Amino acid sequence: MSAFVEMKQISKVYPNGVVANKHVDFAVEKGEIHALVGENGAGKSTLMKILYGLEQPTHGEIWLRGQRVEIANPHRAIDLGIGMVHQNFMLVPSFTIAENIVLGSEPRKGRFLDRAQAIAITETLSKSYGLQVDPAARIESTPVGMRQRVEILKTLYRGADLLILDEPTAVLTPQETDELFLAVRKLVDQGKTVIFITHKLVEVKEISDRVTVMRHGEVTGRVATADVSEADIARMMVGRAVFLQIDKPPVRRGRVVAEVRNLGYVAETGRPMVRNVSFDVYAGEILGVAGVEGNGQTELVEVMTGLRPATTGEIRIDGKPVQGQSARRIRLSGVAHIPEDRLTNGVALDASIAENLAVDRYNRPPFTRQGILSPRAIQTQAVALMQQFDIRAAGSAAPMRSLSGGNMQKVIVAREFSAEPALLIAAQPTRGVDIGATEFVHTQLVAKRNEGKAVLLVSADLAEVMSLADRIAVMYKGEIVGILENGPHLTEEEIGLYMLGLKRDEGARGEGRGARGEGRRELSRPSRKFQPSRKIMQRRSQHR
Amino acid sequence: MSFEVVLQSIFSAAFIATVIRVSTPLILPAMGGLISELGGAINIALEGVMLAAAFTGVIVSGFAPQWFPGAPEWVYALTGGVAGVLVGMAMGWMIAFFHLELKTDIILTGLAMNILAAGGTVFLMFSLTGDKGSTSTLDSAQLPAVQIPFVNTIPILGTLLNGENGAGYNIMSYIAFVLVAVIWVFLYRMPSGVHLRATGEMPEAAQSVGIDIRRTRYWALVASGFCAALGGLYLSMGYLSIFQANMTAGRGFIALAVVYLGNRNPIGTLIAALIFGTASALGTRLGTMAIPPQFVEMIPPVVTIAALVIYNIRRRARINAAARRFQEQAEAARP
Amino acid sequence: MTQNKTLIEAIRIVVVVLIALAIGFVITALVSKEPVAAYTALLTGPLPKISFENGFAITNINRFGNWMEESTTLILLGLAVAIVFKARQFSLGAEGQMLLGALATAVIALKLALPFPWHMILALAAAMAIGFLWGLLPGLLKAYLAVDEIVSTLMFNVIALQLFDLLLFNWLRDPTAGFVGTVPFPDSAVLPLAISGTRVSWMIFIMLAAVVIVWFLMERTPFGFELKMLGANRKFAEYGGINTKRVIALSMAVSGILAGLAGAHLSMGLLKRLTINLSPGLGFEGIVVALLARNDPRWVLVAGLFYGYLRTGAQIMERSSDVTREVVLIIQAIIILLITAEQLFPRFQQWWGARRNNEAAMERG
Repeated sequence: MSAFVEMKQISKVYPNGVVANKHVDFAVEKGEIHALVGENGAGKSTLMKILYGLEQPTHGEIWLRGQRVEIANPHRAIDLGIGMVHQNFMLVPSFTIAENIVLGSEPRKGRFLDRAQAIAITETLSKSYGLQVDPAARIESTPVGMRQRVEILKTLYRGADLLILDEPTAVLTPQETDELFLAVRKLVDQGKTVIFITHKLVEVKEISDRVTVMRHGEVTGRVATADVSEADIARMMVGRAVFLQIDKPPVRRGRVVAEVRNLGYVAETGRPMVRNVSFDVYAGEILGVAGVEGNGQTELVEVMTGLRPATTGEIRIDGKPVQGQSARRIRLSGVAHIPEDRLTNGVALDASIAENLAVDRYNRPPFTRQGILSPRAIQTQAVALMQQFDIRAAGSAAPMRSLSGGNMQKVIVAREFSAEPALLIAAQPTRGVDIGATEFVHTQLVAKRNEGKAVLLVSADLAEVMSLADRIAVMYKGEIVGILENGPHLTEEEIGLYMLGLKRDEGARGEGRGARGEGRRELSRPSRKFQPSRKIMQRRSQHR
Repeated sequence: MSFEVVLQSIFSAAFIATVIRVSTPLILPAMGGLISELGGAINIALEGVMLAAAFTGVIVSGFAPQWFPGAPEWVYALTGGVAGVLVGMAMGWMIAFFHLELKTDIILTGLAMNILAAGGTVFLMFSLTGDKGSTSTLDSAQLPAVQIPFVNTIPILGTLLNGENGAGYNIMSYIAFVLVAVIWVFLYRMPSGVHLRATGEMPEAAQSVGIDIRRTRYWALVASGFCAALGGLYLSMGYLSIFQANMTAGRGFIALAVVYLGNRNPIGTLIAALIFGTASALGTRLGTMAIPPQFVEMIPPVVTIAALVIYNIRRRARINAAARRFQEQAEAARP
Repeated sequence: MTQNKTLIEAIRIVVVVLIALAIGFVITALVSKEPVAAYTALLTGPLPKISFENGFAITNINRFGNWMEESTTLILLGLAVAIVFKARQFSLGAEGQMLLGALATAVIALKLALPFPWHMILALAAAMAIGFLWGLLPGLLKAYLAVDEIVSTLMFNVIALQLFDLLLFNWLRDPTAGFVGTVPFPDSAVLPLAISGTRVSWMIFIMLAAVVIVWFLMERTPFGFELKMLGANRKFAEYGGINTKRVIALSMAVSGILAGLAGAHLSMGLLKRLTINLSPGLGFEGIVVALLARNDPRWVLVAGLFYGYLRTGAQIMERSSDVTREVVLIIQAIIILLITAEQLFPRFQQWWGARRNNEAAMERG
């Protein structure tokens, strides 16, 4: 049997020199569900963007149904029967579902839209593939799960035989995930072929027939799913255990630095994102916050740092209430913040490194005295911090834009650490940075803890949380469903149950739970990186 | 001056006729502004396009008799009109080119176009006619008025449909109203109009289904230039029959505000344009009665700002309401 | 490396200006019988003539004066625009702020009787205050209610124009004059001359002080730092603890002070009265100055002098040739288009590179 799609020796080098794909060979057979897995930045999205015509390969060929094809743009891909469901939905909010489904290839009556036909098409598609949608509802008022079904219907309407699903479960609840899997199987039964991009191994095992694993832009394995275990796949993804051995002296808890009580936050859309969250962070400990992304962690951090207003509840820093205060007042209370999205609010790309390092302190001595700003003081500080934190750049006056991701993160770390905070909030502090910088950030976080600072570490990388945190709070749907003492007894399966909302401690609170510290620990099992395991899936099916 | 007289003069058919005449050069460019705005490319050069088209129409129709002597009058008017429209479209294309190809800021490009039009029209007017103020020395053509037959004998309806003198409105006034309807149908009932709205609201979504954003914005700006040019032509070949330096007097900017006041849809934009037109007509009318017209003319910009403010306050209120509901639920849930 | 970039940027700006001037010449040549003479007048007209024939003498000082007068207004407007652009706010309200600034000086000048210099100072203060207010209003709307500043400032311009006309027609107008305007301001409310034989007034000193103050404000105060961070990345500024709403509102208000001063220059320095149609469109001229200066106050001074020179030269050209001064607007538009065209030079390089490759290929083939 010849492959339905074959990508041969694909390479992609971006103009900024980043190599996203290196001689990638990728093949999918007709009628299969093919998982494409790899960590963030492994190059799987780029490969699929090339297949969908959103990017052009620097090198290599694409063969479809035995024919060589050039896919210059998505339009061409659609003509060839390729459909893609993006991670960020590509839907027009003010349009109805039917309008979104037919967008770009509308049924026409003469020169006009045939709106009745659009609705009829939507209903027919919806029925034949078992993807339930309301054709007349506007996208802006429909839930996420339905939006995803709309995306799939969109590709089917365009005659897709091959569907690329880009991390489709990232935004879904477990129920919605199950429904999605049912729908995907139904699609395959009807002769479609599906490429399923994910980094969740349990999903790979559950849904796929074959799997291709990518790492650092290269393919590291291509196997039938039944032949391998999750651990095998994990080994292909990670290569070797790169986890840090972190020397952590036993935790010496000091006073309570941050108290969060019954915190709630409602987004502008009216959706509650943080619900009734309570915990304490003590001096000298790292409190990790784990959870599938999108379960309120971002909002929790932004509320605690004053970037969003809390809707309900209280936050106290060193006993003083700070909720409702400005970001500046909260910083002055002793809170520093490494933001999760560096480029959005962690740096100003067009400002200099020196200015980036002074954004939270420019109005105090030595930078401002008697209302007069001293660029020299800003400069002097920058030179010192750049040396101390090993920031490699052309000079302190160089624009932030000229730095690499790792060095940018070092600038942020330098600024936030040098603020001498009582509480350090670090959100996804190592996302998208190289191993050297990751190691640096981890060491620094532990150093702060050992100095007796309180650290709140929010990370989607479970291995990171488990290797650094003294206690781990798990967030699920905006709530903290458990606060667990970290230690050898704690497994990622256990945390996974909490993360998926299958287990919760009623009245989970930060206070009062045993404050036993753990000594040196070694974390090198690769499977730690991947949250839910088979065990969880069994539990889930029992639940139903 | 009694209040009654004021009211009488306002609610007369003749007054409505005036409103329509005054509103025409707002409706047309506002439709242009609407199209580009919905396509996600703000066209701040409506003013300049109007000015350039007004000038071109007059100059070309004025010189046309030298090029094709002996042709009927309508040929000259048509030539001028077509030339004006082409200039407007060319300016729209230039904004698109600079913005989309050379990555200029679209607002600054629009402002540059306004400056180019303000300078270029006077520069060329002097070179061609030797006058810097207006083209009064040039015998230029006018766009025809269209009279609706048989209604003049009906007292109020006659005035309403054909103006005070019964001669009918300028063809551009009809075009303006027809254009609103056409654009509505286009935007909501035709595929390319839907593509335009998708491009403006969610470019990634449009692109992902194969809609060419660049091309859509190109023609949106060209169409925008087309509509604004019609408005300019009306000023110099309908409302008046000469071109004067800076004769648009800010109408292009007001048209832009009209789009926002009209909540970015054709019907709302039409109503907003009529509000501005009414205020302007009222101002003139009251001016003849020794009431400062500026008072009335100030109303529409104030209303526009107020409308934007109210829109945002209401949005905020919705968010607050959602927050309150959540708060109450949270209170209730707590033991 | 950064030095190098600044140099390239400077070269780019000079090249853009030269291209615009060259296009301007081509346009002039198309309509003029004596384009070289006309363009010479444009490019050298504002210079005073120094002659040594009968001893040292400077003639045409009034032309030099015109240059300085034009530049004073333009630099004030350029500073106004530079402040809002630095904060990346698209306020287009300078026109209205300028009109109201002039209007305020007229009210103080004509309706109050005070001795010099208090009368003058009060009039200037009134112009700055109203400019501040007229910038603050759209600034507050933008900051706290997210009202788009482009639309709101354009509407504030319309309101300002109506206010201006309203007071001028109904209250300030001199009914005996043959035109719509006020009586001349009393001497106590007129800016004293700085160079005799011209209309260059003390405003040139105020302008120079304004350049220094705005530079100081931008580079040596916390507010300037906030302005820069807001312009660089609003979310980042907020994250750092900067109250961006306050900075947005204040940037537009401070910008208004300078536009108000520009208005005061027109009424108290140049016309010494208020007239209708004070100077339509002048408020937008600050944009080209700020763009040429890359929002740096020191370069605003240079760019304002340059652009004022061109405008004065254009007036002289208009008087001495068959080309109108509006050619300078065309040049201005071209400068704005080219200077904001980031892709222009890369594109040119690409095209040039492709051409050379083609030629090389041809030679090989």
